[in-house]
Amino acid sequence: MSRSLSGLSHQPLSAVVVLMNLWCYPALVLWTLTGMALFPLFYLSGRLLQLPPDRLTRLAIWIYGRGWLLLMRPFVRFRRQGMEHLTKDRPCLFAVNHFSFFDTYCMALLPVYNIMFAVRSWPFRMFWYRGFMRLARYLDVEGSPLEVILEHCRHAFSRQGAVLFFPEGHRSRTGELQRFYSGAFKVAIASKVELVPLCIAGTESLLPPGRKLFRPCTVTLRVLPPIDTHDFQDRQGHIRLRKLTKERLAAALDDIRRQDAHAL
Amino acid sequence: MTEQDVIELIDSSLAEEFELNREEMTPEANIYEDLGLDSLDTVDMVIVLEAAFKFKIREEEAVRGIRTLGDIHRFVLEKMAESS
Repeated sequence: MSRSLSGLSHQPLSAVVVLMNLWCYPALVLWTLTGMALFPLFYLSGRLLQLPPDRLTRLAIWIYGRGWLLLMRPFVRFRRQGMEHLTKDRPCLFAVNHFSFFDTYCMALLPVYNIMFAVRSWPFRMFWYRGFMRLARYLDVEGSPLEVILEHCRHAFSRQGAVLFFPEGHRSRTGELQRFYSGAFKVAIASKVELVPLCIAGTESLLPPGRKLFRPCTVTLRVLPPIDTHDFQDRQGHIRLRKLTKERLAAALDDIRRQDAHAL
Repeated sequence: MTEQDVIELIDSSLAEEFELNREEMTPEANIYEDLGLDSLDTVDMVIVLEAAFKFKIREEEAVRGIRTLGDIHRFVLEKMAESS
């Protein structure tokens, strides 16, 4: 069943929505500017402690994300589920569904920060974020051949890091999962790391593509049980892994939405 | 299998694998720009066609040259003509 997201933009503005947007946009800009101002000091302190630049920047981005969660909390209820499936410092590839620009911010709900995001080219065009993304060695998957992507990911895995992909490639405009591309699954299989599906729900109400105003909602991030990629080493393995991951994410999304509907 | 059957099997297999909209699947449709496939999908496309038609595709050069759905139709039809 397709959920109409465009219809939400025609809903009348309530006082809460007005208040939320009067608070969230300025707070987000101020928090971003504060983060930029404090980053050099944070970075230099970390370098004095001999922390690697990419790891240090990922930690700063995670803290920035945590701050954003706090700023949104008066209007957004954040839920974390399945965190017991995560093992600290075990390399893995996260595959997450994609509804909103703010999905990336919600990754600060994870208790791990050493994550290299694999994204398309357009986020690198946002000049205020670009420098940080480069320092964190985020991956531009749109313009890179698979061999280069694989090399970068293996480097991250070798340092006990994780890599995060949005297998749909872009944000859903229907509120349902779109087709999954194969790249993430090939990387997980070739690198022989576990694939951890992450299901995010609720950001399609918070701020879907094409809408300018935030709306109050509940956002859930659920970590699904890891999938061992050793069983997917055959020629069609990435296709099976892709289908299995999508099947599990679709089931989790339905389940979360059922829970939310019950809670109303 | 008639030519029309072959084309139907190609289109239905690709539509299922890549979740494509059948209405957009015209012979002139560019598989990258119009149907949204990427370079990695070409490998999956070969696997799908091999499974659907039970033959092996070794003509990597020819596959790399495929741009439209019509190119895929012609490629498979030629393969089938060769093997019959």
